[in-house]
Amino acid sequence: MSAVATAARQRPRVGARAWAFTRHHALTVYSALFFLYLLLPIAVVMVFSFNNPSGRTNYTWERFTWDNWIHWDDVPGIRSAIVLSLEIALLASVVATVLGMLIALALVRYGFRGRGTTNLLIFLPLSTPEIVLGASLVTLFLNFNVVFGFWTILIAHIMFCISFAVVTIKARLIGFDRHLEEAAMDLGANEWATFRKVTLPLIAPAIFASLLLCFSISVDDFVVTYFNSGNEVTFPLFVWGSARVGAPPQVNVIGTAIFVVALGAMLINILLQTRRSKGAE
Amino acid sequence: MGFLHRHRGLTPYLLLAPGIAWLALFFLVPLGFLAYQSLESGSIDFGYAFNWAWGNYWDAIHNYRRQFIRSFEYAGIATVLALVISYPVAYFIAFRGGRWKNLLLLCIVAPFFVTYLIRTLAWGTILSDNGFVVRTLHDLHLLGSDGRLLATSTAVVAGITYNFLPFMALPLYVSLEQIDSRLIEAAEDLYASKLQAFLRVTLPLSLPGVVAGTLLTFIPAAGDFVNAQLLGGTKQHMIGNVIQAKYLELIDYPAAAAMSFVLMAVILILVLAYARAVGTEQLTG
Amino acid sequence: MTDQLTRRQLLERAAIGGAAITFPGILAACGGGGSDASEGTTSVERKLAKTLRMSNWTLYIDVKGKRHPTLEQFEKKTGVHVKYTEDIDGNASFFGKIQPQLQRGQSVDRDIIVMTDNSRYPSLLIDKGWVEKLDKSAIPNMKNLIAQQRHPAWDEDRDYSLPWQSGITGIGYNAKLTDPVKSIDDLLTDPKLKGKVGVLDDYSGTLTLVMLANGDDPGKVTDASFDRAIKKLQKASDSGQIRRFYGNSYKEDFAKGDLAATIAWSGDVAQLQFSNKNLQWDVPTEGGEIWTDNMFIPKGGNVYTASTFMNFVYDPKVAAQIEAYIQYICPVDGAKAAMLKLDPSLSKNRLIFPTKQMLDNVTSLDAKAFNNEKYLTTWNNLISA
Repeated sequence: MSAVATAARQRPRVGARAWAFTRHHALTVYSALFFLYLLLPIAVVMVFSFNNPSGRTNYTWERFTWDNWIHWDDVPGIRSAIVLSLEIALLASVVATVLGMLIALALVRYGFRGRGTTNLLIFLPLSTPEIVLGASLVTLFLNFNVVFGFWTILIAHIMFCISFAVVTIKARLIGFDRHLEEAAMDLGANEWATFRKVTLPLIAPAIFASLLLCFSISVDDFVVTYFNSGNEVTFPLFVWGSARVGAPPQVNVIGTAIFVVALGAMLINILLQTRRSKGAE
Repeated sequence: MGFLHRHRGLTPYLLLAPGIAWLALFFLVPLGFLAYQSLESGSIDFGYAFNWAWGNYWDAIHNYRRQFIRSFEYAGIATVLALVISYPVAYFIAFRGGRWKNLLLLCIVAPFFVTYLIRTLAWGTILSDNGFVVRTLHDLHLLGSDGRLLATSTAVVAGITYNFLPFMALPLYVSLEQIDSRLIEAAEDLYASKLQAFLRVTLPLSLPGVVAGTLLTFIPAAGDFVNAQLLGGTKQHMIGNVIQAKYLELIDYPAAAAMSFVLMAVILILVLAYARAVGTEQLTG
Repeated sequence: MTDQLTRRQLLERAAIGGAAITFPGILAACGGGGSDASEGTTSVERKLAKTLRMSNWTLYIDVKGKRHPTLEQFEKKTGVHVKYTEDIDGNASFFGKIQPQLQRGQSVDRDIIVMTDNSRYPSLLIDKGWVEKLDKSAIPNMKNLIAQQRHPAWDEDRDYSLPWQSGITGIGYNAKLTDPVKSIDDLLTDPKLKGKVGVLDDYSGTLTLVMLANGDDPGKVTDASFDRAIKKLQKASDSGQIRRFYGNSYKEDFAKGDLAATIAWSGDVAQLQFSNKNLQWDVPTEGGEIWTDNMFIPKGGNVYTASTFMNFVYDPKVAAQIEAYIQYICPVDGAKAAMLKLDPSLSKNRLIFPTKQMLDNVTSLDAKAFNNEKYLTTWNNLISA
């Protein structure tokens, strides 16, 4: 190689390194700002959870109190509402993710008749306005004399979560390297074992993302739930209903508590795993 | 297992069966009822009767053209914004997240646990006319002295963007996370700059995530009504608001149904056009 | 049994306390006369159900910690367990929820529901036969209903409904941000308020107030008077005077100071005032609107049990307990006097116990206008522009 070419390659390298340094940290700074922006309203909600208002409206900061956190379920109906919401969200996200994963596998890995239509079908529930979606589901349930309550809510939630699960997991399956699976099968594993030990772990991030997304959608749903809930009250139903007189601070407590608890659980998990892998070294 | 070996062609249908059956029963059948309803006419006082009332569709397009267009505008802008905002963060979590990946993903969906209403009211407090943000913008002359952030179309679009960020960020992350970083290293070993490596390796490989995210954001956003209701002014209502009012206040079920189908049809057309543009392999692999 | 105040007792307490007596209160006391405390079984043998299923608006009954004391008292007194559900989020949405079943003649598994009379839904429920008639013989305390509420246009003889709580739609203003706003015309045209004015998306409330401001009679809506009202609102909306057509969320903007003045409900401002003394409220000079949340018995509900419960809450002592928490306007005569014992300061609050002058200056919208499709469509096009 000529000396000129070598020198030319060295100059960009220094500049490239400086550029890389800025970029490396810029990304971190940007991401930090992003999370700040994302969680800013949550911070405000949390602050107001410690408010002790004189009236029944929680819009003006008055004085600090631990009361709302200590007596977090001192509002009749709020405890059963959040428990119901969490139960439904947990079940719905698991079932929707499983069903969605199966559909995603079929769509991405196999050519079959009706593939295009199926793809389109997946997007239809997303495009249907919630009010007619909820109302027409009521019609179905009434025609079958189904009693409204826990099961109708669950069925509805699974229904509208499937599309999210399919699309999320598909994003992982497209471009998935099948050679690993083929290698496993060459080594004697059957389809099920290959799936369990090779495929599943590799698409685990997508499954986790799908669970998270479906859980969030379910725990926040109002319109479809309202029509199909009968006498049951979920957390969003309670919150929207309380808006007429003013949501009590306990609503703020519960909303932020879920996040804090989940965050705490994850942190502990991470620290334990770090400890374990350090111990293994 | 042997059964499946002998009937290879059945596998996709078996995989599809449970999920599609669920959707068929609990979505398509209700949709059928809705379609039937959209061709009825009448009122709550005198009842509804089926009489091929295609006029409902025409009325929907004709009378609410403005709200339809506005909805697609808002949803479109919000989707682009969400993509631009979320992509770097999804990249960060996928490549730099390490063992904090799942924790960061949890942070992204955290706002959903406090309910739409409460987090929107919180934004209302933050962006209040007398609040810190607006006052700063006034001082910096970025906002007219009597300008405001809330009760504007800006607020509605910002609200949609914020509330649909997880729908964009999570699929992006999913697709980015699977990219083998050795591919990027290889590109750089072959004398690509970091930027080139990104543009020619990472970005194309993340395209399925981009497509997934944009669809998961745009499609539901077009039918959204809450953001316009809580953050908009008097001229920001979207088609979702109109459908809601038709159903609840005017108790005009056929009109609400017809409008919903018009919305769905337009969205479907847009999705097909989009799929054609990006290439259907990104949609189906 | 039922401890209602006789006329003499009421006057005695008034003389002692010097509290303003409400005009309807006097009327009711005068008409209320002797005590007919016999609780009714007439010739028909009626049995109480084991459970009373009641649906109500959220946080709309007395609360103590996790319990509802009045419901517990009812249970103790009658042995009927109350399954109390707070699933009424709005009149329109709740009607939308129960309509499919009522349409098919199915029961909605509720004995009592509560809906507001300044919407089309109560008259719809009655017209379509989706509500049961009250068992008035089980509700002797009905005579405690204040006179003004006895003959609403949509249920002349109170055959199907009984008020739960009332409220007044008036104008709220922030004394720190503006001079008192006392009229709708000021609200909709004063340039100093531009962009800081709230108007409710409530068809009845807003229309009534604007029609009164136009000098028209909301009790008899004509095409001309309706158009005049819409025009006025359209002008204020187009010019940017109105910030938004609000649902319940006006309270937050009002509390934050994003609204200098707004159409507002009496009970809401009563609550907001506890936290912010600058927030004032009054009935507009041209007149305001009074609305009432009413108890109904949906078709298939247990009439006798529901009626027994209604009778229970019309006992002034019970009504006062409920009122002490809800702090809207109580329709039960004698509750105010009973309230004097529970919380004297509340009984002096004219947003909770309005003066005779206020009550004379409020009215309701023409019942026929509630179901007029043309009007409703025009209205919705105005707010969904």
